[in-house]
Amino acid sequence: MTDTLLRLHQNSYYFFSIVLFIIGFHTMLTHNNLIKKIIGMNIMDTSIFLFFVAIGYVRGGRAPILEPGAGHAYINPLPSALILTGIVVAVSVTAYALSLVVKLYRHYGTIDAEEIMRLRGGETL
Amino acid sequence: MEDIIVRYISRIIVPFVQLYGLYVILHGHLSPGGGFSGGAIFAASMILYALSFNLSAGTKKLSHDVSSVLESGGALIFAGMGLLAVLLGTNFLGNRAAGFPLGIPGNLFSGGAIMVITFGVGIKVASTMITLFYSLIEGEGHSHD
Amino acid sequence: MSAAAHLPALTVVVPLFFAYLMPLLARWRKSWCAATTLAVLAFTFFSSLYLANRVMSSGPFVYHMGGWAPPWGIEFYVDYLAVFTALTISGIGLPVIVYGIKDLPHELKEGVLGWYYTLYLLLMASMLGMALTNDLFNLFVFVEICAIASCAIISIKESRECVEAAFKYLVLSAVGSGCLLLAIALIYMVTGHLNFTFLAATLPGVMAVYPKNILAALALLMVGLGVKAALFPLHVWLPDAHSSAPSPSSAVLSGLVIKIYAVAMIKLLYKVFPATFAGMAPVMAMLLWMSTLAIIIGSMFAIVQEDIKKMLAYSSIAQIGYVFLGVGLASHNALLGGILHIFNHAMMKAMLFLAAGAFIYATGVRKLSQLKGIGVTMPVPAGAFAIGAMAMVGIPVTNGFWSKWYLALGALDAGKPLFAAVVLVSSLLNGIYYLPIIVNAFFSKPEGAVAKPGRLPAVMTGTLVVLGAGCIIFGIFPSLVLGLVSRATRLLLGL
Repeated sequence: MTDTLLRLHQNSYYFFSIVLFIIGFHTMLTHNNLIKKIIGMNIMDTSIFLFFVAIGYVRGGRAPILEPGAGHAYINPLPSALILTGIVVAVSVTAYALSLVVKLYRHYGTIDAEEIMRLRGGETL
Repeated sequence: MEDIIVRYISRIIVPFVQLYGLYVILHGHLSPGGGFSGGAIFAASMILYALSFNLSAGTKKLSHDVSSVLESGGALIFAGMGLLAVLLGTNFLGNRAAGFPLGIPGNLFSGGAIMVITFGVGIKVASTMITLFYSLIEGEGHSHD
Repeated sequence: MSAAAHLPALTVVVPLFFAYLMPLLARWRKSWCAATTLAVLAFTFFSSLYLANRVMSSGPFVYHMGGWAPPWGIEFYVDYLAVFTALTISGIGLPVIVYGIKDLPHELKEGVLGWYYTLYLLLMASMLGMALTNDLFNLFVFVEICAIASCAIISIKESRECVEAAFKYLVLSAVGSGCLLLAIALIYMVTGHLNFTFLAATLPGVMAVYPKNILAALALLMVGLGVKAALFPLHVWLPDAHSSAPSPSSAVLSGLVIKIYAVAMIKLLYKVFPATFAGMAPVMAMLLWMSTLAIIIGSMFAIVQEDIKKMLAYSSIAQIGYVFLGVGLASHNALLGGILHIFNHAMMKAMLFLAAGAFIYATGVRKLSQLKGIGVTMPVPAGAFAIGAMAMVGIPVTNGFWSKWYLALGALDAGKPLFAAVVLVSSLLNGIYYLPIIVNAFFSKPEGAVAKPGRLPAVMTGTLVVLGAGCIIFGIFPSLVLGLVSRATRLLLGL
């Protein structure tokens, strides 16, 4: 029991990123409000970023700026660099999705998925 | 919004935020940060300005048209540097091999093409964020971006 | 080094560069946009041809971005599959946009034309990048560019259906990308590499130590790419998205975009994951059944459609099933048929969508029941539609015949005759929904708007003729591409 808890504590980044992932995915699936769907999408993305960045963390490591003579450990910069790209992508997807929601609101006067479905006559969104 | 405190404070803050953004962009090859972070900081200053005054005041400083031209320009700087390396006879995005001066590591002007590329990315990100903000705020008319 | 040595990078970078130049051109030199796009796509086509020639004569080669060798740098690996895909993309992308030059002003608002070319070039660049790259994260970046660009060329039409379809596509595709990124994280976590070649070398050892990580990564990759490739249970976004988009967008989305994810999956399954992973999870068997369901159910849905473009979209779900059928069977002939079908289907589905677009352009009619007699009043587009439909069914002397032939042979080779029967049954189903359209088109009396269609621009007719001729030529002389495809297959299977 204590062993499991200890391991959970040591891998808490992974654990909480999975929790976040589930929260995000759940938000995305269960909410009808399109903005909330996008928020869920963002939480999901963030959880993956957390997961990815946690991979590169070295216990006791510092930011990987080379200083002459310093002998301490550095964290792995590659995941951070990759995730920066991931964040850029998430930003653009979010902005695009929001602009689509603006358009949908203009067409239907609502941002509720069920309402839109009803207005369209039965087909699912 | 007609709030004197918000306006006054943002008027004081905006130049510093912009300076910080530029600092992060220009030191992209030396320290954490770089084009994206710096560009986002810079864009935040413009968005703050437009929010605390109003949209027309914001667009007076940096119009929608200019920001969408800059958007293309920033990306073109990046691709152009890569292609320049090809012209100089190395692989795409080659740096030292293409003959860009590397300078002394740790100095501001070092790293060859990386600094120029980071600057291009900074312009691109800042103008994209601003354009996105304008487009979402304006809605109709300029909604094609 | 001559400029030709840089063609792997230039093939991707030049469209990207001009994609960003296009908004500036649209601002100051509006009339140059179309011509520039055409020139750029012609460049990518000829550079893919050059690469194909070089690969065929001297074997696969690599290109290092910035001169940094892997594992540090990003690597482009130009092999048979990559050049085949690049040729397909640029070879189909070029005629589609030639058609689009006349069709797009008809379908889009005036101000967004320049943006359309930007998005189109971005889409092309990202697909070419996906075909050529040898790096997992680079692949992810191109996947994302491709996802956003393909949503945007749907929503650019700004009608209700388009915005809705694009939103649905975007959300599902974002879930797919999330899965893909998580899979990359899981793989990087245990291998420390992102380069395909290095991954392939380290994975067998790693798999023994961390089997669960790799298994989870594999599942996430399959879901992520499966959503984007519209593999059967994950296809829900496709019909709306592909049918509401402007016709050139539909052609390129159905013809190329869903295939490129299949190519990415082929690369990952055959080049990166070692053969031993089949012992851990029955991936290939799952792919087989999912593709079988896709083929049968996609065709069944297509039969009941009223809207011509919606029918074609459902047909795409069935056709992507063929590609995955070839992947799942994993025998030489079957994989060859699957890869060949990427090209063949790209050509015929692009042509079918463009022909449907021509009907809509000239008559404004989308309903299949109202298109009776269209063959009498618009013989060229209807003829192209007929050729495409016959290729879909798999009648000999059209290119569709060959991919189905090899798939069926491959199913027999693999000792699974059931799937050969699936191919036959699906041909029958294809016949059920395509042949009545042709019969009605040519042997009924035209009525209403169909009786006196508007004039179709010569460029659009010409494109349809070229694509139709292509279907026939590649049907009579399949050896034109078979050499390349068969080498690609051999390399993938390690024969």
